[in-house]
Amino acid sequence: MAEEQQESSQGEMEGVNCLAYDEAIIAQQDRIQQEIANSNPLVSDRQDLSVLQREYAEDDTVYQLKIKDLYKKYSYIRKTRPDGNCFYRAFGFAHLESLLDDSKELQKFKAVAAKSKLDLVNEGFTEFTIEDFHNTFMDLIELCEKQPSLQELLNSFNDQNMSDYVVVYLRLLTSGYLQRENVFFQHFIEGGRSVKEFCQQEVEPMSKESDHIHIIALAQALNVSILVEYMDRGEGGTVNHHVFPEGGDPRIFLLYRPGHYDILYK
Amino acid sequence: MENKYNLKSPAVKRLMKEAAELRDPTEHYHAQPLEDNLFEWHFSVRGPPDSDFDGGVYHGRIVLPPEYPMKPPSIILLTPNGRFEVGKKICLSISGHHPETWQPSWSIRTALIAIIGFMPTKGEGAIGSLDYTPEERRALAKKSQDFCCETCGCSMRSALLALTPNSNPSAEDHKAKELAQQINFKAESSLSRQASESGGAESDPSVLTQGDTSTSAGQEAVERPLAEQAEESPAAGVDEHRTSSSSSSSSSSSGRPLSPRQRRSQQHREQGQRDGREPAASRPAFVPAARQPQDESHAGSAVLIVVLTLALAALIFRRIYLAHEYKFDYDL
Repeated sequence: MAEEQQESSQGEMEGVNCLAYDEAIIAQQDRIQQEIANSNPLVSDRQDLSVLQREYAEDDTVYQLKIKDLYKKYSYIRKTRPDGNCFYRAFGFAHLESLLDDSKELQKFKAVAAKSKLDLVNEGFTEFTIEDFHNTFMDLIELCEKQPSLQELLNSFNDQNMSDYVVVYLRLLTSGYLQRENVFFQHFIEGGRSVKEFCQQEVEPMSKESDHIHIIALAQALNVSILVEYMDRGEGGTVNHHVFPEGGDPRIFLLYRPGHYDILYK
Repeated sequence: MENKYNLKSPAVKRLMKEAAELRDPTEHYHAQPLEDNLFEWHFSVRGPPDSDFDGGVYHGRIVLPPEYPMKPPSIILLTPNGRFEVGKKICLSISGHHPETWQPSWSIRTALIAIIGFMPTKGEGAIGSLDYTPEERRALAKKSQDFCCETCGCSMRSALLALTPNSNPSAEDHKAKELAQQINFKAESSLSRQASESGGAESDPSVLTQGDTSTSAGQEAVERPLAEQAEESPAAGVDEHRTSSSSSSSSSSSGRPLSPRQRRSQQHREQGQRDGREPAASRPAFVPAARQPQDESHAGSAVLIVVLTLALAALIFRRIYLAHEYKFDYDL
């Protein structure tokens, strides 16, 4: 009798510990996220590229050389919060910013964006769950039509709700395109997963980081050309770049450092 | 409800939409927010027809975070069912225990379909999971129809549309299963690893339940689960995703929640008793975990005995030296 009670209380302890452990991890992750959020705006003001120099030690020759190389082409940088959604946010902001003074391109983009929801619904996405995200995305495009100040666009992208909804929609567009072209993209997916599984694990959940495959898909889904400068510890002293899709005429320039994307300006 | 909430809040907007979308019960599921709280819903789901849960209708709560749909809902079952613990957040990758795999384009309906699809899958010691025997689950399924929820006033007999022969449940079931498979996918890989590590410590309940105990024990089992769940160990289950990265998979085998009958059969085996009529609590139970401290105290007392013996020997020698007034050679 007593022993059984002991057993049950011990089991209970283990259960509680396990749950507490789990919740402690979640709580800690939340704290880390909060800290990152407090020190980084979702999308920052445009800063001189020299801020990059100060991020690395002076004797860190690999990076210092590469930053010098970047200087040859770019003058400014706009940082995004490193929360796993940085590619989508950087892309979204940089593209709409570039359309602010190009109403012809803006109208073209609006038409593509407007039609995109129907494509997703036809692919099997549930309309009532994706329409809030789509509406927010369209609201932002309509805001751009009114030729707002840059600050207004920046404010919208720093509004957590609005900004995250745009990220969700861009993730949905990426997922939709990957699934539509699954025969092609299947070759690039590791771990024996199907394209659908990949989308459900690596594209649609928030905070999942982006790789080449995500960038290609989003660039093609929205018919926008993106240039990414890759800056890592590799030797050579120069920064390599890729244009997605290949051969395009990019209007958006992103800086990739392992695990993170920021926006570059000429 | 319309005046109480900020309609500009994305969560409110979305939940209003979902409430409208789910207003009418289907044959398989129904969910609506509580009258006074848009962020707490009650749901009813029908057990999958081709499973031990056939004929059961199960009731539960869904708690929505303020960040919904950016953060996942938490799901809590209220009807005893033998697959999920009552009153505990369920561990599916769709629910709050795995926020990293939730997708904002999923909805409460997705969660309900996932629950249905998940019922026939194995619990495998995950948080909030139970592995009751098929007989127990069938008995609970029958009983579940009598459940009435005091909070939302929902009776399980009338909660869902009646199943009609000309309706086509297979499409729904198919959707549910597909979803459950997809949701389970990540857990599966880490589980198989876990299973190989823990070396199949789980015993097969169907072998252990002897013929003569099954009828009475079966009835008892139906009466007892609720009370037992309340007073006994709530599953030292292992969170499937998280622990695959840490090293605690060993705790899953000993701390796994057993159904009343499985627990009883384990006691039978331990003691070689076959009558099985006494209530479980009247006997000393099978206590695998309690051994360890005992072993430790054995080791401790052995050390103590050695130390005391040595001390005693030292005293005796000193006494002999003093008695004979030997002198040591070296200067002190």
